[in-house]
Amino acid sequence: MLMLKLAYRNIIGAGMRTWLNVAALSFAFVTIIFLKGVYNGMNDQVERATIDALYGGGQYWHERYDPYDPQSTVDAHGNIPEVLRPLIKQKGAVPILIRQGTIYPGGRFRNILLKGIDPQQKILAIPVSALAERNRTIPAMIGTRMAKHTGLHINDLITVQWRTSHGTFDAREVMIVNIFKTTVQEIDNDQIWIPIDIMQTITELPDQATMIIMNKENITIPTVPGWNFRDLNFLLQDLHSLVEMKSMGGSIFYTILLLLAMLAIFDTQVLSIWHRRKEMGTLMALGMTRTQLIGLFTLEGSFHGILAALVGALYGIPLLSYVARNGWGLPQSTDDFGFAFGDRIFPSYSLGLIVGTTILVLVITTIVSFLPTKKIASLKPTDALKGKMT
Amino acid sequence: MRLRFYSFCIAVSSLSLQAQIVSGDDILEKVDRAMNSKTRIVMSTMVIHGRRDIRTVQAQSWQRGTSDAYTEYLAPAREKGTKMLKLNDMLWTYSPSTDRTIMISQHMLRQSVMGSDLSYEDMMEDPHLPNLYSAVTSPDDTVNGRACWVLDLSAKKEDIAYYSRKVWVDKVRYIILREHLFAKSAKLLKTVDITEVMNVQNRWAVKSAVYKDVLKEGKGTEFNVLSIKFDDVLPDHIFTKASLRR
Amino acid sequence: MIAFLWKGIVRDRSRSLFPVLIVTIGVMLTVFLHAYIHGAITMLIQTTAHFNTGHVRVMTKAYAKEADQIPNDLALLGTDTLLSSLQKQFPELSWTPRIRFGGLLDVPDKNGETRAQSPVFGFAVDMKNGNSPEWNMLNIKNSVIRGTVPAKRGDILIADGLATALQIVPGETITLIGSTMNGSMSVTNFTIAGTVRFGVSAMDRGTIIADLSDIQAAMDMQNGSGEILGFFRDDVYHMDQADRITKAFNAQHEHSIDEFVPVMGTLRTQSGMADYLDLIDAYSGVIIGIFVFAMSIVLWNTGLTGSLRRYGEIGVRIAIGEEKGHVYRSMLVESVFVGIIGSSFGTMFGLAIAYYVQEHGINIGEMMKNNSMMMSNVIRARITSFTYIIGFLPGLLATLLGTAISGIGIYKRQTAQLFKELET
Repeated sequence: MLMLKLAYRNIIGAGMRTWLNVAALSFAFVTIIFLKGVYNGMNDQVERATIDALYGGGQYWHERYDPYDPQSTVDAHGNIPEVLRPLIKQKGAVPILIRQGTIYPGGRFRNILLKGIDPQQKILAIPVSALAERNRTIPAMIGTRMAKHTGLHINDLITVQWRTSHGTFDAREVMIVNIFKTTVQEIDNDQIWIPIDIMQTITELPDQATMIIMNKENITIPTVPGWNFRDLNFLLQDLHSLVEMKSMGGSIFYTILLLLAMLAIFDTQVLSIWHRRKEMGTLMALGMTRTQLIGLFTLEGSFHGILAALVGALYGIPLLSYVARNGWGLPQSTDDFGFAFGDRIFPSYSLGLIVGTTILVLVITTIVSFLPTKKIASLKPTDALKGKMT
Repeated sequence: MRLRFYSFCIAVSSLSLQAQIVSGDDILEKVDRAMNSKTRIVMSTMVIHGRRDIRTVQAQSWQRGTSDAYTEYLAPAREKGTKMLKLNDMLWTYSPSTDRTIMISQHMLRQSVMGSDLSYEDMMEDPHLPNLYSAVTSPDDTVNGRACWVLDLSAKKEDIAYYSRKVWVDKVRYIILREHLFAKSAKLLKTVDITEVMNVQNRWAVKSAVYKDVLKEGKGTEFNVLSIKFDDVLPDHIFTKASLRR
Repeated sequence: MIAFLWKGIVRDRSRSLFPVLIVTIGVMLTVFLHAYIHGAITMLIQTTAHFNTGHVRVMTKAYAKEADQIPNDLALLGTDTLLSSLQKQFPELSWTPRIRFGGLLDVPDKNGETRAQSPVFGFAVDMKNGNSPEWNMLNIKNSVIRGTVPAKRGDILIADGLATALQIVPGETITLIGSTMNGSMSVTNFTIAGTVRFGVSAMDRGTIIADLSDIQAAMDMQNGSGEILGFFRDDVYHMDQADRITKAFNAQHEHSIDEFVPVMGTLRTQSGMADYLDLIDAYSGVIIGIFVFAMSIVLWNTGLTGSLRRYGEIGVRIAIGEEKGHVYRSMLVESVFVGIIGSSFGTMFGLAIAYYVQEHGINIGEMMKNNSMMMSNVIRARITSFTYIIGFLPGLLATLLGTAISGIGIYKRQTAQLFKELET
């Protein structure tokens, strides 16, 4: 207890120097947590956006469906499985029918995927409700990228050509009723969304689907013959490996930032030991052992870490929680249509991140504080009293 | 002289027919009889108007009935030696440079032939229209100065590429002079205009035609028959996969 | 006076060594971090440049309009002439033609009948020429997992995943069914020279790399190419220069109504990365700003501790009659020296490490047990002109500031008290 008190008094007594160290260390602290939070937030957001707009709570794929082979959509469709029907009725799952089609913007042919979806669905965060309007023309929806590539605008009519299940050519004009903005390219590029009931009729595939997307809350996943269930682990595989690689690159930055803060601690420790030789001699003369002395100086050093955590918390908590609440605006354009994801990043700080970073900083600070104190081990009290370092 | 006699005969017979035929299906049957043959050997060119240039592809084709065809490309140099074999609804292609015979899969049949406005599928279609469509007559019309019946065809069966067609049939020669192909929604997809016909072995045949994919920009594809021979005896071995490598 | 102080610093190691060391290390870290962050951004840009747009890209006007569709019927023709004129006009870039194409890969069984088929996407790049920039751009040699790099006519590389899926091995012959630029069907045999891994699963499912001349022949595009890519020789995207070159090139055909005139675009405008690059620029600015700020605090502290070290000396100097202001000023001048020396060494060492990492890179893939991929997973530092000066900012200013603040203590010391202080 005495040691604690002594160490505390010593470093508070050092005044400005201590506070500068604490400032640098707390700064490293907060920055690491902040950046990691931004990073996690970004990944969470991408993952969430992808899950929300594309994967849902996992997907049943028709056994012939291969997302990398658009030709597979010719045969990749089947009757919506009986077991999943009640769930679909309760809006706990949504069937999607996918067929290849062709459009001719500017007289040039362009292959597209025609996707049928229930306009009432709430499982995917695609603003499909606009498709519920029924006029004479087929309502259709595209993403901003598709709109840019094809030069299409809202209320434009475009002829889409496709083959029915019997191979008969069909072509109709569809009206673009909504252009949505999304960061998830997989629901945007070269795709046209129309109501699934219309699509089933015009393609002569009544009651059929290519995939069935489950609600995120569905825990029980029945086995359905002819359909393969793809869970989120499978679907997010690519994203996860990308994230892993990116965070490897980021960790170098944190290392350097920590190194910098440790440099300050180390410098302070070296100076303290050199500057306070007489004090050490006195303490030894008063009966303090070398080990106790080493302990005292190490404790003083690691107090920086504790103070930094406290000071960091003082300004870090309000700052970080403010950013977590309000997001970090990106200097991009904000579109008012569709869901404007991607204009703000909301950092996410997990408890693990905060506790982990705190422990890491404290441990490293303690180690760095301890290193220069090794000199004390060979200190002779008589020399120390004279101000000599042996 | 002989030709004129035949034309006269056909004209007379058609005049009498005109009075009798009222149903579109009957006209279509007549067209089918007039246009189809047991076998034929056709030498033709296809003029493809691309965005940057015009290309001419020449080919010779041996056809048996409506189901089997063997085609060899003769020009340009690049395509020379490429062969295609159609047996019912299967299509194989042979390329001399690779010495491989490859079956054209379902989705590749939808691609255009040599960059033209025709797809392989168009080429492979069963030309027996009465098998596929039922016809009703529309008010008569004239094409290239020739009086025509206009028939609206609608599909009899489900697995058919064009759900409906409109054809203009020469009242005297029973040859189709114009054809419009529609999607199921009745949207016009392709047009065929016969610009010239010829009489060979006392039959009327297409000499020149223009195919056009109306959704696509461009001038369409010209199809010219250089020579045609009907009802020769064609040996069976032509219509085998082995003949592709020969 | 300055010479005197200089000598003091050089000769009296006790007063200079430690401060200089700290400044050196701090500046070194700042310099390296700057280069590292720039390197990480560069990696992102490079991947886009190498696989997609080059630093600049020349296409026909018609092709550029629908470049996302890879409309090879609208490709450049007369590539050789255009290529040599580009090389002459803009020698600061290396130019290389490329064709991107799609098709169906057909694997024959021993009777020549189709055993397996798979849709593929391909890059046709110049691999006949040993000096072709493509070897580096696509990291071809290092990416080969099985087999070898293409050496003879008709050799191709194929994604390892695809090879596994189709059960084919190097040495086997496969047939590519595609279409010529005129839309005719094209059927061509290729020999698999080797397999590669791209590091992106979509590409690993079905990508092939063939030699340009083979694909030109297969697609009936003699002396044609979809695109001509230009790469700066240091493989760094120089935005202003790219903009200037693009402007100069496009001015030549400004008034042409021919839809097949060549037009040039930059990586920034073509990749859809303009917003993203702006964002990254802002982001990296913030990170470096944070770091420089933290660094300044540390060096300020060093300035403080530096003065403390010399507490006794200053006492003596004041005691023997040196004016307080003079002591203070001389301390400031000394700190400038320390700052300059430390910053110079720090910048030197920082640059040295950055240069090493620039040349050799840090392989984050190896950390992940997933190496040898085409998509670079090696982060390289990137030294820019700013890297040379960034360290001086905190190194000099913070040291000076630290001394200036800690030196205020000099004025607080009472001469009468000094001898007492010095006795202890």
